Amino acid sequence: MDLAKYRQVFIEESTEHLAEMSSALLELEKDFADGEAIDLIFRMAHSIKGMAASLEFDSITQVSHALEDRMQEIRQAGCVADFEELAVLFRGLERLESMVATIRETDETPAPDPALAAVLANRLDESLPAQDAPKKKALPPIL
Amino acid sequence: MARVLVADDASFMRQMIREIVESEGFEVCGEASDGIEAVDQFKKLQPDVVTMDIVMPLKSGIDAVRGIVALDPGARVVMCSALGQETLVAEAIQAGAKDFIVKPFKPDAVVETLKKVLEKED
Repeated sequence: MDLAKYRQVFIEESTEHLAEMSSALLELEKDFADGEAIDLIFRMAHSIKGMAASLEFDSITQVSHALEDRMQEIRQAGCVADFEELAVLFRGLERLESMVATIRETDETPAPDPALAAVLANRLDESLPAQDAPKKKALPPIL
Repeated sequence: MARVLVADDASFMRQMIREIVESEGFEVCGEASDGIEAVDQFKKLQPDVVTMDIVMPLKSGIDAVRGIVALDPGARVVMCSALGQETLVAEAIQAGAKDFIVKPFKPDAVVETLKKVLEKED
């Protein structure tokens, strides 16, 4: 299968998904428990993950997977916890936008961002240098 | 020639599955981009097999399986899942799905799974 032709489809579809995620995040900013917005961000992250994995864009797969997992936790909780968590979601969106832009503009595979993936996955201790890491606390398993 | 209905909210995935199955001589008789459309298209097109994404808008892939099996208990539905969705796949199989394929798709595995499901007796 010639994957090159799917690259353009990926750029177009993920750009649309990211725009929808952006609108949904703005809705979440007004109402932390907006179920439609939460579901939409979850589905868009899931979809981008699947497309990126198919094209072996591992950096995008990693961040979108972590965002999807975080949204699944938020779905289970029923709402975004606070503005801090919302800011993390915006960071995830912005990073995905910049990664897709890298492919669109340079045709190169974007660099990974394991620190952001760790923040999204709620593993703050892995995202910081050892001396700055907070004491490890009990966190739910990341599937 | 077996007729396939492809249900996935991502056009990217629908195109990819279409290319894989058409290269093996299957006919894609229809596409659906959400769970409600998947059930409607199944009713209208009566395909031999359905590839069904799990995460879709309006009605999930699992609920769409339930809707399809209610229309035709012998329906052949193959779930399209991602790693980490094992629980959802198990739920889909309980709902009546016959098998599953994992994203990112490996063309040989997709074709082999569809053939296997099509060969099974109802």
